[in-house]
Amino acid sequence: MAQLPLEGIRVLDSTYIFALPYAGGLLTDFGAEVIKVEGPSHHDPTRGAGLAGSFPDNELGDDWWNRSSTYNLMHRGKRSLTLDLTDQRGRDVFMDLVRISDVVMENFTPRVMRRWEMDYPNLRKIKPDIIMVSNTGYGHSQGPYANYPAQATTQEGTHGHCWVTGYPGGAPSKAGASFVDFLSTWTTLFAIGSALRYRNKTGKGQWVDIGMYQAGVMFLSEFIMDGIANGRDGGRIGNRHPYRAPQGCYPALGEDQWVTLSVGNDEQWQAMCREMGREDLARDPRFSDLLGRRRNHDDLDEIISAWTSGLDRYDVMHRLQAVGVASGPVLTGRDIHFDPHYQSRGFLERVTYPEERNIGVRPFISRPYKFSRTPLKIRRPAPTFGQDNGHVLNDLLAIDGSDYDQLVQDAIVASVPIRGEAVDRLPQEQLVELGLLAAYDPDYRQRLSID
Amino acid sequence: MPEGVLNGVKVLDLSEDIAGSFCARMLGDYGADVLKVEPPRGATLRRMGPFHHDDPHPEKSLFFLALNLNKKGATLNLETSTGRALFKELVPHIDVIVESYRPGYLGGLGLSHPDLAELNPSLVMTSITPFGQDGPYSQYQGEEIVNYAMGMIMSISGVQGREPLKHGGFQAQYEGGLNAAAATAISLFDQFNTGQGQHIDVSVTEVVASTMMATQTMYPFMGGTQPRRRAAGGEFTHPMPCADGWIIVQTGGGASWEDIANFFESEEMLEPRFADAGQRPQHGEELDGLILDSIKDKNKWDLFHKAAEARMLFGVVQTPTELAECPQLESREFYREVDHPVIGRIKVPAVLFNFGLCPYQLTGPAPTLGQHNREIYVDGLGYSLADFSRLRQINAI
Repeated sequence: MAQLPLEGIRVLDSTYIFALPYAGGLLTDFGAEVIKVEGPSHHDPTRGAGLAGSFPDNELGDDWWNRSSTYNLMHRGKRSLTLDLTDQRGRDVFMDLVRISDVVMENFTPRVMRRWEMDYPNLRKIKPDIIMVSNTGYGHSQGPYANYPAQATTQEGTHGHCWVTGYPGGAPSKAGASFVDFLSTWTTLFAIGSALRYRNKTGKGQWVDIGMYQAGVMFLSEFIMDGIANGRDGGRIGNRHPYRAPQGCYPALGEDQWVTLSVGNDEQWQAMCREMGREDLARDPRFSDLLGRRRNHDDLDEIISAWTSGLDRYDVMHRLQAVGVASGPVLTGRDIHFDPHYQSRGFLERVTYPEERNIGVRPFISRPYKFSRTPLKIRRPAPTFGQDNGHVLNDLLAIDGSDYDQLVQDAIVASVPIRGEAVDRLPQEQLVELGLLAAYDPDYRQRLSID
Repeated sequence: MPEGVLNGVKVLDLSEDIAGSFCARMLGDYGADVLKVEPPRGATLRRMGPFHHDDPHPEKSLFFLALNLNKKGATLNLETSTGRALFKELVPHIDVIVESYRPGYLGGLGLSHPDLAELNPSLVMTSITPFGQDGPYSQYQGEEIVNYAMGMIMSISGVQGREPLKHGGFQAQYEGGLNAAAATAISLFDQFNTGQGQHIDVSVTEVVASTMMATQTMYPFMGGTQPRRRAAGGEFTHPMPCADGWIIVQTGGGASWEDIANFFESEEMLEPRFADAGQRPQHGEELDGLILDSIKDKNKWDLFHKAAEARMLFGVVQTPTELAECPQLESREFYREVDHPVIGRIKVPAVLFNFGLCPYQLTGPAPTLGQHNREIYVDGLGYSLADFSRLRQINAI
């Protein structure tokens, strides 16, 4: 078996919530040793509270902080070290670890790392070739918003996505799912891969300054260019396409089932008319070319809906794809577990937990790229809180005996979070009634064969 | 001039689309030498607007310009045997190929990764496609809306009672390109260390799905399916109108609930049915009403700056022309100006992020079609001017 691309690389991951913690998890798939560093009284909000996702079988359990779904997805493969960075002794330990690491990732507000003397100039003093990645909302600059609080959901407005997202003629809409966080996740992977190569080539490390806002704006480049060159200000076209027509999301047979399709040229339109059994439409001059189909899109939407609503969404996809028309069903978080393509690609990977974790087996998102020579996989379950305190301090730093005991006694390291609680879970049936779940399968474990 | 972090890396960009172009641009932005190799008819993206002054000319696509900065350009017709032979002459000199053709297309021409690795064992080939290289849908047509639908995100976008909603623009394609660039950068590190290349298979649908952490895990953890948002009373999940635009607010950040109630000058918000996080979801519509009433005569930027003082998580909905003039982006030198031979001087979104030692550098605008043919084929591969002319005559380049 070929060595993984990042085997032998050690990453200190002092980051919270989504963007960089997820990058850290993805780095472990590549073989890196990633040490997640959390404060004993400043645990990652994804362990509990509102960002936790779900808990195994909807039960918080005795150690809720080790059990949330988003925590377990993002922190797969890592080691967990708890360390109180507000205490000088904690910072000393951190700096000792920097000395034996290749990469440090952090997402504190710019002033925090300076105050702790843990910013790049200080890290570089003790490890000249260290690579440091800082992720913030607006970047480490002197710009007017540099110190403004920011996170993905409200930035969706500020970086422009809401303006171009929404039903036609309606209000701006949020993307949801912490969209811009992931742009930082992947930017971080790109930056680390590139900076490591440069370090091996030149012996030089460096600091990487990522601002999520910028990444979000970059993804609207064509709208901004249209504004710069043509004075146009974008807007909301819902599920339609600026050039192709028809394009949309149409109802299919069954409750809340939908299918999308997109027609790129006249031949595809003709083929779709035949598939719908509507040769008459193929000859209808209102729809004969792109401009006509765009002008009469509302009429087309009615005609297409009438056809799709009597069909299974997968039937629509297979029939249209067979004649060269792009189409696919709207898949939910449930659906992808049973979709033949996702199954064939092995996109969801099953992670088996040790008996004492009481989590069992759960499938997780793996990663959207496959490597031919160095196949990647999730290497082990996410660690429990502080699971590797002993290994990191004793084995890597030779802090043991009474020195180690003192750190534990003074809660510089801990194996249980000192503060915080999880938000109680409502039963699934009640969540459905409140509109917080679309559906609930009581027998999901059997369906997934994870019983 | 400071070094680019990827200086010395040579990339052939065969992609005609958004995702591949953006991937290769990332490599070029940070120092790689990128050659865009287009069929003689030009890449598909050249025919996609917006166009400069709305003139649908192949050199005036602003989309093509934005995604192909920092590249050189050559034409090459892979459908001809001479074109394929030329391509194979280039392969030993390069480190990376980025391509986005339908799976099997290059293989059918004898240009699969294993074929090309015989000429260059260290070659990294990054393929970006709607559904990946294998699996039952691999030959299916992709489109932004289809990637979005099958990547789960549409199932939670929009509101309950209406159809799922795609986000604006081509987010899946940009995301696909960024992921491909990340995977390529890590394989370049591996290539540097081992001297070996590999084939990287990126699925744009899986890229979209990779953002759905809470949505995916809800099923295997508790049997649930995440819905779209409620149409009203969604408790801060929708942009809200003020006097001159729209704002977004969220709990959290450094602000307490009292801070938020103070900000909206509402004593009612301090009552337990709003103040208590557990009770709040049942009173969402009433809460919306209080906030809407408080902001209806206020200016969005006043609210934005004041919210920052209160340490609130707060956004304004900016338009593209506002973004083009944003002072924060200016402080980050996000926009740069390029001189394009056909379009002229124009401002472009440029800097995604920065390296401290190896800062972003703009080395040129997008290439015109075949702009560097002579440099590549005559100066580079050593063809005579007579041969060069013949290559054009037989439509090989």
